[in-house]
Amino acid sequence: MSAFAAVLRKDLRLELRSGESTIALLALSLLVMVVLVFALDASRVRGVDTASGALWVAMVFSGMLGAGRALLAERDNDCMRGLLLSPLDPATLYAAKLAATLIFMSVAEVGAVVLMVLFFNLEFNTALLRVAPILMLGALGFAAVATLLSAITGRTRAGDMLLPILAVPMFVPALIAGVKASGAALSGAPFAAMSDWLKIMIAFDVLFVSAGYLLFEHVVGQD
Amino acid sequence: MNNAIRTWLGVATLFLMLASLFMVFEYVPTEIDEGIVQRIFYFHVPLAWVAFVAFGLVAIAGVFYLWLGDQLWDDLGYASAEIGMVFCTLMLISGSLWAKPIWGTWWTWDSRLTTTFILWLLYGGYLMLRASAGDSPQVARFAAVVGIVAALDVPVIIASVRLWRTIHPAVLVTKQGGHGLEDPRMIATLLVSLTAFSALFAWLLMLRFSQVRTHSRLQALAERLAIAHAAAGDR
Repeated sequence: MSAFAAVLRKDLRLELRSGESTIALLALSLLVMVVLVFALDASRVRGVDTASGALWVAMVFSGMLGAGRALLAERDNDCMRGLLLSPLDPATLYAAKLAATLIFMSVAEVGAVVLMVLFFNLEFNTALLRVAPILMLGALGFAAVATLLSAITGRTRAGDMLLPILAVPMFVPALIAGVKASGAALSGAPFAAMSDWLKIMIAFDVLFVSAGYLLFEHVVGQD
Repeated sequence: MNNAIRTWLGVATLFLMLASLFMVFEYVPTEIDEGIVQRIFYFHVPLAWVAFVAFGLVAIAGVFYLWLGDQLWDDLGYASAEIGMVFCTLMLISGSLWAKPIWGTWWTWDSRLTTTFILWLLYGGYLMLRASAGDSPQVARFAAVVGIVAALDVPVIIASVRLWRTIHPAVLVTKQGGHGLEDPRMIATLLVSLTAFSALFAWLLMLRFSQVRTHSRLQALAERLAIAHAAAGDR
């Protein structure tokens, strides 16, 4: 069994037994949706654009608090040292943590989409299937940024407070593209209307996954 | 030697700044359409130029730090980020002062404004990270990684924001950045201002860099002293 699979399996097993990350992410998504329903004018008819915007707000806010979990779990009992001492490439560790975070975020996204349909009076139809890949690209980008940065912020005095301050501005391009593309997908626009946005998201994901993969060893090393 | 260069650079900056002020307020003709407020342009553009150079330098210093591991590069990145942040803030403020009479609003989500604002947020986060990590030994590596990643983000930000604003209906129909510098005196003023602000940046950077350098040398000495004391105590 490869090192990547070993770490990922460990994280998934931990998550299946405790449910900590996914439940927290789901609960946060629910709360963000509820807050948005109250914050936005209830008398006005809410369009598809508002719904897709709410979906992304939920992703960013729940992701900010939940995405670093997979890495922060290793901080207790100094498990990180153990992982680094094992014959495991830091880049592989990054990939495994990224995969775990992506899986947790995907579960939360499924919940968020269901909530969006219920709260914003949409229909359960095939348009939701078109949103799925866009959300996956967004979640991958966010997880890539958050996994790299939470390795940094977890070791500073401000701690987790600093993660959103660093991660959200970095995520802006994928956020703009994601909101626009999923709005177009939900309103049934042709693929051509979102292809430019998808290109930006793919560029963002490729850039940040490779940056994280290459730079991770510099942020986890012990001094 | 280093100090002498810095002193002369400071003197040169002073004279260039005075020349630039004279040209902006006395020499250059007033632009016909925008009037007197257009003169802020001769400060705004150099501020933007310096901010981008400074942020670029942060990323370059980050790469060299991770590659060579010399504390010098980290100090350079730190000094550059701080000065870049000051210039970026001044650029946003001067742009806002110009936008109010010309566009009728202090702020609009135009593509360039949005890009600059996001950069400002990014490097604000970078400086907060440095402040929060304090004197921990990892701070240099953390800052280098964040500086590099932030610079990698810039082209994607520009691409996405541009697409966002061109698809979105324009709130304000203006000739964005369309300062037709018809008069050669305008170009001369801009060039002098650019030189003056570049010199100011170089001077500030040298000053701040030597401060940061001294600080990290002192810290290294203090650490060695502590180790020596501990060793003496053991004996």
